[in-house]
Amino acid sequence: MPRITLRGVEKRYGASVAASVSNLNLDIGDGEFLCVLGPSGCGKTTTLRMIAGLEHPTSGEIQIDGETVDSVARGIYMPPEKRGMGFVFQSYALWPHLTVQDNVEFGLALRNVDRKARRTASDAVMEKLGIAKYRDRYPSDLSGGQQQRVALARMLVVQPSVILMDEPLSNLDAKLRLEMRAELKRIHLESKATVVFVTHDQWEAMTLASMIAVMNEGTLQQLDTPDNIYNRPRNQFVAGFVGSPPMNFIELGPDETSALSASLRTYLEGAGLGACRGSAGIRPESICINASASSTAPAGAYSGQARVTGIMPTGGSWIIELTMAEQKLFATVNTPPRFQMGDEMGFVVERADLHLFDENGDRLPDEDAVSLQGEGK
Amino acid sequence: MHSATHDKESALQGRCKRVPIFSKYRLKIALREPTAAIGILAAILFSYLIVAPIVSLLGDAFRVQFADSMRIGQAAGSLTSYNFARVFKSIVAPDILWYPLIHTLSVALGAMAIALVAGGLMAWLISRTDILGRKWFATALIVPYMLPSWTIALAWSSIFLNRTVGGQPGLLESLGFEPPDWLAYGQFPITIVLALHYTPFVILLFGNALRSFDAQLEDSARMLGAGSATVARRIIIPLMRPSLLSAVTLIFAKCLGDFGVAYILGAPVKYDVLATSLFRSVTARQGGEAAVLAGVIILIGTISVLIDARLVREARRFITIGSKGSMNRTQALGSWRLPMTALAGAMFTVSVAIPLLVLFLSTVMRTPGQFTLDNFTLAYWIGHDLPTTALRTGILVTRDFWQAAWNSLWIVGIAAVCAGVLGVLVGYVVVRTPLKSIGAYLRYITFLPYLVPGIAFAAACLSIFAVPHGPIPALYGTAAILILALMADQMPFASRAGISAMMQLGKDPEEAAQVAGAGWWKRLVKVVIPIQKGPLAAGILLPFISGLKGLSLVIMLATPGTDLLTTYAIRLVDFGYSQAANAVVLMLSAIAFFGTVFLQKATKTSLASGLGG
Repeated sequence: MPRITLRGVEKRYGASVAASVSNLNLDIGDGEFLCVLGPSGCGKTTTLRMIAGLEHPTSGEIQIDGETVDSVARGIYMPPEKRGMGFVFQSYALWPHLTVQDNVEFGLALRNVDRKARRTASDAVMEKLGIAKYRDRYPSDLSGGQQQRVALARMLVVQPSVILMDEPLSNLDAKLRLEMRAELKRIHLESKATVVFVTHDQWEAMTLASMIAVMNEGTLQQLDTPDNIYNRPRNQFVAGFVGSPPMNFIELGPDETSALSASLRTYLEGAGLGACRGSAGIRPESICINASASSTAPAGAYSGQARVTGIMPTGGSWIIELTMAEQKLFATVNTPPRFQMGDEMGFVVERADLHLFDENGDRLPDEDAVSLQGEGK
Repeated sequence: MHSATHDKESALQGRCKRVPIFSKYRLKIALREPTAAIGILAAILFSYLIVAPIVSLLGDAFRVQFADSMRIGQAAGSLTSYNFARVFKSIVAPDILWYPLIHTLSVALGAMAIALVAGGLMAWLISRTDILGRKWFATALIVPYMLPSWTIALAWSSIFLNRTVGGQPGLLESLGFEPPDWLAYGQFPITIVLALHYTPFVILLFGNALRSFDAQLEDSARMLGAGSATVARRIIIPLMRPSLLSAVTLIFAKCLGDFGVAYILGAPVKYDVLATSLFRSVTARQGGEAAVLAGVIILIGTISVLIDARLVREARRFITIGSKGSMNRTQALGSWRLPMTALAGAMFTVSVAIPLLVLFLSTVMRTPGQFTLDNFTLAYWIGHDLPTTALRTGILVTRDFWQAAWNSLWIVGIAAVCAGVLGVLVGYVVVRTPLKSIGAYLRYITFLPYLVPGIAFAAACLSIFAVPHGPIPALYGTAAILILALMADQMPFASRAGISAMMQLGKDPEEAAQVAGAGWWKRLVKVVIPIQKGPLAAGILLPFISGLKGLSLVIMLATPGTDLLTTYAIRLVDFGYSQAANAVVLMLSAIAFFGTVFLQKATKTSLASGLGG
């Protein structure tokens, strides 16, 4: 069954420009739903297109199901049309001169499936995706959501065992996107295909993926389960990219003299961690705001005092801006706040919710975090 | 199972290992699809069709021609500066080069000036004022450009022809006035006729610029207290200058290569321009002299097109400043509304109505200007036993006419189909090829004929194709030379259309087919060509129409056996059968006009329906 393996894959568009993808090693297991997540220009689409064979690596190897499809060193290349994968384009790339039905049946016709079997197969897929009634229309007569479904149907009808999707939902409105996400999850379960899904939308990645690969500037930052990506980000980039509002970072270097940095340093040293010269990250929802700092704080938790300088309702939850001396912190609360602008409030962060990074932005080894927690108890 | 080791050591290794440019892997990708091979073939083809003739022509300029070898005592083919000496400073130099050059410049500058004033005014009236029938004028005033350039020249001579040359007398002559020579022939009429023909250029280019002018730029000047005169002087005119200059530079380049007008109105009084001088050199078999002359024309043409390219870039820079908010606002003319409408009407009358009417009347009247019923006749169209020496039948029952019509149809047709198909192919290769250098080469080389006025390119074609080269026989006198020249001449437009169509299409539809399992040929036939059928049809029809009415390129390449409608008409003019010539030009005009109108309508609709309507 299809596993996808990338070994030392690099892609440069010119000798002088920085690599779009550099030294990428990736193992995608059979039946996995992998989301490649990253900001625009991070090389995620290039990676996907290299797996499809539409783009060619400058060095490295790609294997599908044990068979080498790209090897720069050995001069092996298998063209996309022979790889038998499904691909959904961001623009959908429906053929404007063919009806919905002809679009869907195109791949079957290429495989010399006879007309009747073609009709049966395409009908079944279109029925399932709810586009059967548009079969005689041209793509330009369809809405974005309908076009999206046609693109999916066209890809699914040939039952590919590898499905590649390049930001397929980015052109849909919020409600449709939610629907299509559920649809995609269902498709994945039914087809048992290996899916590689490129997106810059972290919620999309979180909700869909069984594994997430976070990329930045052409390099893989972390390949992990959604849970670990969120709760144990491997470096400061992943920590800051995933989560909304984003994680608060407090610099801890010896030059940092702000009240918050100083008090956090003191706290960490007291907890026996020694000097952390990197930074500490705190997710907004980990900050617990209460009237007085020390009274309700659990043992070993960090507590501080800050002024409320902003209250922004987002419907159902509130983003609170706290200012401690010059340093700003963002917190989220899910109950209506019982304080007002300018109030002096205490806040508490559990030790386990402090993400510590070294000077290079890499997550500090877990033992420290564990020992920190152990000492506190 | 999952490993994500970003291994610094091997990254370093990867950086040190230089990636070879010609690895087996890259070769495999490049050669897997025929795109690269097609690109190379196309590059060779166009090198032969476009570069080789020009190189051969320039080579001729430095070589002793067979006809001159006795006279100057050097073997034919040896290097010489004789040709340059002859053209630039011999005793015949004034007749060959200097007078024609001065004539060309003065005629072109005159036409530019008139077209600038008339076209600028008309463009303003059409796009920014409330004259009556704006929409109608917007099309009607463009008509002269759709017709062959020498249509108006023939009409002019039908009106002002005097006793200096033979043939049927002109309208004024038969009404009892004798037009002076300066009015009938030479600089004055050539200038006027060229100006009338190319005024639409200014109307189109300048009008477009005016329409896309950002009204907010004007408004902000007004808000700061500028009156409308100040706005025009300080804002509109400076911003419009590049597009105006671009239009007139193009007119200059066009006038430089225009043969028909100068030939019809200049030849009777030996008023030569560069194009006609080149024509005489070629017909007198003065190969070396012709080569130098053609070189001069190419040089001037290239310079003016390059200047234009610069101006267009500058104009575009201005457009990016204010892109949004063009409001197509009109200015109320008040009491000037009717006079200005009358002015536009007069322009239409002079440049379209009178010429076509005169041409038509000349073909149905025995004696011009005599409006009695018995003077009207259809004899020149369908009559037999006319009282003339040769051509004793009406044009529609003359075999030669139908032969020329048929030639026009198939010769220009084949050239247009080839140009259209090659244009799409070039577009495909340029946009898709893995060999970027081939793409760039094709893009430049197909644009090259644009720098070379048609008549000079014809001389270049003669210089290479008139003699056998290896397996290719001498092509002079065959239809092949016409097809090759017409095709090459249309490539700038065809390849541009093809490139922009492929750019617009983007990669996605083709890649989607590729992932679905379609190989190169399937993708081309099932996806690319069906989607591009609109642009392809336009890319064939447009060269067809322009080839059908073009004269400068084919005048030296066609022989009586391969006459096209245009060259046939000129032959009729030469023999003094002006009614017959006028009839042919009328028919050509009709084809060109309705073809253009059809094309405009069809491409709009077919493009829409091609995208799934």
